[in-house]
Amino acid sequence: MDKKRVTFLSIFLFLAINVISLSKVIEGYYGQEYSHVYIFMIVALISTGLATIAFFLWRKEEYKR
Amino acid sequence: MSEDKKNKNHPDNDQDMMKLVDNLNRKEDVNLNRRAFLKASFGTTVALGLATTPFGVMSAIGNDKEDAERIEIATADELAVGEAKNFNYPTEDEPAVLVRTPDDQYVAYNNKCTHLQCPVFYEHKDNVLLCPCHKGYFDVNSGHPIAGPPQRELPKILLEVKDGKVFAVGREYRHG
Ligand code: FES
Repeated sequence: MDKKRVTFLSIFLFLAINVISLSKVIEGYYGQEYSHVYIFMIVALISTGLATIAFFLWRKEEYKR
Repeated sequence: MSEDKKNKNHPDNDQDMMKLVDNLNRKEDVNLNRRAFLKASFGTTVALGLATTPFGVMSAIGNDKEDAERIEIATADELAVGEAKNFNYPTEDEPAVLVRTPDDQYVAYNNKCTHLQCPVFYEHKDNVLLCPCHKGYFDVNSGHPIAGPPQRELPKILLEVKDGKVFAVGREYRHG
């Protein structure tokens, strides 16, 4: 698989991770399990960062002439 | 009608037709849609990721408030077996329900439904806690959801019965 494809698909992986993390964070917040809130917040932020990297890599490949 | 108008729908040269065919370039069309789709997905990913931070911040701020206050909520003979009573604990705007169960135990929970925060009632007939909004049922003895949409247990209020009085002495969010 080429780089463009990998970055393209990875964005959906990160999207899924963020959906799950956000729901866990909300659960943890209302259940007052603050350690869960922090763990999943960090997971979400890392995956957001990776998604950003993947997006820019994809963009470079996609618009390259 | 002028000759000119009559021929309006008949292209007089191939030029216009060519443009239409250009428009139907499938590969381009798919590619552009794919780009827009990926951009939207990326935007959603970022939005969801960042949406977790307010919860983290709020947890960090509100983390250290303790609610181990001791409050008298009822006298022991006030409730008959199978009766319930509302009170507020630990603060005035946190409603709770005290139940004297059929096997003569006192139990109390904050009665905001863990689904969408409707008030939960004690149903004497079936010996359950019932949320009428979306038919959520909670076990009276444990506060755990048994049917309907709620996924999380009701916060349990710790009780102490002493000298014919019932006291609320603390609260547990996750229990059992
Ligand atoms: S609010 Fe209680 S079941 Fe939906």
